[in-house]
Formats: sequence, structure tokens, C-alpha cells
Amino acid sequence: MLKGIGVSGGYGMGHAVVVKRADLSYVKKEECHPDTEHRRFSEALECFYNRNTELAKSVKDTLGEKESEIITGHVMIMKDPYMLSEINKKIDEGKCAEEALEEVCDSFIDMLSSANDEFTVQRAVDVRDIKTEILSLLTGAEQVDVSNLKEGTVLVAHELTPSMTAGIDRKKVVGIITELGSGTSHAAILARAMEIPAVLGAPDATKEIKSDDIVVADGNSGDVIINPDADKKELYTRKKIEYIERRKALLRFKGMPTRTKDGIKADLFCNIGTADDAETVAKYDGEGIGLFRTEFLFMDRSGVPDENEQFEAYKKVLLVMKEKPVIIRTLDIGGDKDIPYLGLTKEENPFLGFRAVRYCLKHTEIFKTQLKALVRASGYGKLSIMIPLVTGVEELREVRKMVEDIMRELEKQSVPYDKDLKVGVMIETPSAAIIADILAGEADFFSIGTNDLTGYTLAVDRGNANVAYLYSVFAPSVLRTIKNIISEAKRAGIPVGMCGEAAADPMLIPLLISFGLDEFSVSASSVLSTRREISRWDKARADEIANRIMELKTERDVVEALGKIVNDTV
Amino acid sequence: MVSKKLTVRNPQGFHMRPAMNFANAMGKYSCEVFIKSNGAETNGKSIMNLIAAGIKCGTDIEIVCSGEQEKEALDEAVSMVESGFGE
Repeated sequence: MLKGIGVSGGYGMGHAVVVKRADLSYVKKEECHPDTEHRRFSEALECFYNRNTELAKSVKDTLGEKESEIITGHVMIMKDPYMLSEINKKIDEGKCAEEALEEVCDSFIDMLSSANDEFTVQRAVDVRDIKTEILSLLTGAEQVDVSNLKEGTVLVAHELTPSMTAGIDRKKVVGIITELGSGTSHAAILARAMEIPAVLGAPDATKEIKSDDIVVADGNSGDVIINPDADKKELYTRKKIEYIERRKALLRFKGMPTRTKDGIKADLFCNIGTADDAETVAKYDGEGIGLFRTEFLFMDRSGVPDENEQFEAYKKVLLVMKEKPVIIRTLDIGGDKDIPYLGLTKEENPFLGFRAVRYCLKHTEIFKTQLKALVRASGYGKLSIMIPLVTGVEELREVRKMVEDIMRELEKQSVPYDKDLKVGVMIETPSAAIIADILAGEADFFSIGTNDLTGYTLAVDRGNANVAYLYSVFAPSVLRTIKNIISEAKRAGIPVGMCGEAAADPMLIPLLISFGLDEFSVSASSVLSTRREISRWDKARADEIANRIMELKTERDVVEALGKIVNDTV
Repeated sequence: MVSKKLTVRNPQGFHMRPAMNFANAMGKYSCEVFIKSNGAETNGKSIMNLIAAGIKCGTDIEIVCSGEQEKEALDEAVSMVESGFGE
């Protein structure tokens, strides 16, 4: 068995076709005729443009705009006037087309891969892919034709370029295994869009696997099984059928309202990290945004984004979401999230230190800029502001006063904004949870941040392997805390949501229904499964389960009992 | 030679599309176009050089054009950067 990274879910079992690395070697000719080499190069280039432009078109039609941009990006790079003139210069100097191309591409690859941001380093991979493709055109190296494979093929390769991946016939190829690549590779993005199970980064795959071996690519776990025995074959056949059934069943929930079995409506929102993610939310059927983390706007740059830039980003999300609710969390830095130019000092206990709203209330110039951008953006949709790491009602009052001052200021300048703009609290500290009744009296809404709330309640750093076993949202202390927060919100008549990973947990969902959670905010890819889980329970049954569970005394008992209930309920 | 100092304002800086739009626009002029940033000089007609330069939002740059139509080139370059490349 080989182990790689499962990057595209599902199970692919079939006959292996091992793609040998193309031999791209060439003889460096001493005397090249520039005219001949120019002609060879421009012919190869022409062929490259045509092939990829065509491919981009078909990818756009079958997979989508974003996926096709991977391919059009390659065409753009190879149209770079400077790059082309450098190559032509070398050909003029008497180098053959291959050498000229290779030298120029390599110098770009060096330059790009030494950058310190992911985006630029990715472009180095693009240039390498392009170089390989044009070199194979020039040398006439055997092109791997991935479009013409037998049905039931598992493609095994050292590495797949985006254009090779996009050229794969989805009806024929049931799985992909490569030695290089990871979840963020272009090949991974394309495999997911094509819904082909894929395992990338499986070392020695092209050596261990022979063509016509039977192989299984487990795109969930990253396992690769070579020549499975009868039992294993049966196991994976069953897993595959179940996986497909599950996916089909899930798709039935697309476009459906989110409600319990007995018709109680819940809001199903998404957590996002960048303004662009808003489009994904719409695609995955999210009904709003329950958490927009604004940190990304402040990262990977040398200074604080100004009011207009922030305004544009917030406005963009609101416009994409078209009047659906959007909850934007104010700057949540510190702890494990550092932004160098903000000059945060290293702390003994960063999680108990100068972070989130504490930082913002001390650096009011930065905070005011963000709040002003938010208030201005509120005129373009249904925006709510959420304050992270609140421990006392004073923090909420202070922020609200700042928001009201900004509103008055904008009023004077006749700048439009939403007079009904809501200001809510993220409940993620034990302190906020314990005084939920006090906070509920003044906040417009609550959103429970289960990740930090669980960590703080249990005093556990889940990154610390020695204590991580204690970290569980099912600990009785955490469950009681969540229940208290929700009931205090209900008593005060304000909406309460949850924006941690736990909101999508099938085992927690019946409890949340019983407690009366109004809004579930999950990652875009969990929308349909969460909607299905919510539809499985009616209030009476959820209450019955909650009553039983809340009497249990240990986390283990809770998990055992809930696991049994959830699995036994059809 | 003409030049102008300004600050990159679009959120993504010189990413793929801005770099392409910029290099293509500058390619129409026969003058040389350079961008000075963080002490380095980048060929403004090259998509890949612009990307490799890693010019991010908030970076102070100086655009330098020299040769035929240098004024027109500089005007267009400045308006592209100021408008955030129409992003």
C-alpha cells in the first residue's frame, strides 16, 4: 500500500495506466540557424496557444470559469512580450529553440520560487509546466494522450500538468494517482471539479505500480492499494457504491429550505475568509454568511488597508449575497494570528493576551477605519457587525458607541448606511458565556465560536499533543455552556448562531435543535450535509435526546451515547 | 524621461491579471517602462517580471518611462494603477 494525500474524494478502482515521464532531452547543436530555430519555436508556440485556448474553452463549459483560468493563465504567461523577446534573443545568438526556451524559463522559475508568498511560488510551477509542454512539442517527445484511455482506467503519473488533467476523459478515468502535488495543486483543483477520486503526492507510485495492475485510489484517506485481494476488492466496491449513493442523496437537499423534520426553520449560513469566497457560498447553496473573517484583508501586505479598500471588499460580499444576511467579524488578530506591521509583541500567553477586540479598542485609529468602512458598506445589503473575544459588556458598549458616532458623522455628510445595522457578540470566552444574560440585554445577536470556547472552557491548547485529548465540544462543561448561551439569548429574544466547526457536527446537531439554535454557520462544502442532518430530527425527539445526554457525567459517555443514537436513527 | 511616484491600491497588487493588463498596455508603446519598488527595478512590459517583483497593495512605486511616447505611456500606466486595474 502507498500513502499519499487524498485531494479529491471518492474511490477509484481500475486498471492502472502508468504514464512514463516524457524524455525531453535534446542535443545542444553547436551551429543553429536562427531562421530555422525561430520557425520551430513559433510553430511550437502556435500549437501551444491553440491547444490551450481550445482546452480552456471546454474547461469553462464543463467545469467552470475559475478552473478554466488555470489554463488561460498558461497562455497569458507564454504571451509575455519580455519572456518571448528573451527567448528570441537567445535564438539570435545561435542557440537552438529548446535551449533558449529552457534557459529563459529556468531563470523565471528561480526568480519566482524564491518569492515568499504562495501565489508567486505557484507561478513557478506554472512556468515549469509550460516549459515541459513546449519542450515536448519541440522535441516531438511522445505526448501522453490522456484523452484516449480505456474505460475504468486509473491514471498513474509522476506529475500531472493542468492541461493534462483537464484533457482527461471523465467517462474513462476513474482515479488519479501522482507522485508530486498536494491539495492546492492545479491538478487537485481540476480533479475535484471533475469529480475524479485523486491521490497526489504518493511517493514512488510510478515505480511500485505497473500498467494493468489493479489499483484503488482512495481519494478520502489518500491510501493507494495495489492488486487488492478479493476481500479488499469487495470492500472498496461497497465503499464506492455507498459514497456515490451518499452524494446523490445529498444533492436532493440542494435548493431546499433548511428545517427540522417537524418544519421548524433554521438559518444555514457559511463561514468565509475572503471576499471571493462569497461566490462559493452562493454555489453551495448557503443562505447567508455567518462569519466573514476580515483578517485576510490585513495579511500579506506592508500596511493597514485604508477605509476605501476595506469598504470595497465588504461591499463586494454584500452585493454578491444580494440582501442575504452577512455577519462580518471585526479584526481578530493576536493569539496565533500575527500581522508583522501591527507591531504585536511576543507574549508569554498569546491566547490570554493582547488580541482581537482588546487590540482594536487600544488602536482606535485602525478600529475606527474598519468600523467606518463597515457602516458605509451596510447601505449595500444586510450587514451585521460581530465583535470577537468579548469578556464583558463594557467592550460591547464601547464598540457600539463608536459605531453610533460614525453613524452620526455619516449622517452629517449624507452618506447612506443601514440605520438598522446590528452589532452582536461572538461568544467564545467562558466569561461571556457565564454573563450571557447580561450581554443578551444589550447585544443584537449572539454567535457561538465553538473552537475557542471549547479551548478556553477546558483550558486546553489543542495544538499541544499531550493535552489535545481533552479538547472536545462534547465535554459536559462545554455542552452546558452552549446550552446556557442559547437559552439566555432566547430569553432576551435575540437570535443566536454558531460559527465553529461544531455547527456541522452530525452528533451535536440534535442537541442544538433542542437548545433552540437559530443559525448554523458552516464551511461551504458542509452546507448540504448540515441541511440533511437538521432535517433528520423533530423537536420532540431532539428534546428527548438532549434530556438524556445532559444527564451524562463524562465526555466519553456523551460521545458513546450520541454516536449510537445518531447512527441508529434513520 | 518622465516618471511619477504613487502607491499601489488594489487589494491584490500586481497579481496575474493586473500584471497582464499592465504589461499588455505598456507593450503598445515603444518607450521603455520601468517600475521602481523596494529598491528594485522591474521591466513594466513583462508579466512575469511584474509578478516576480511581488508588488503588493500598499507598496510605494515609481513608474519611469523613457523614449518615444513616454508621456502617453506614463499617463496610461498611472491611470491603470490608480484605478486599481479596473478590478
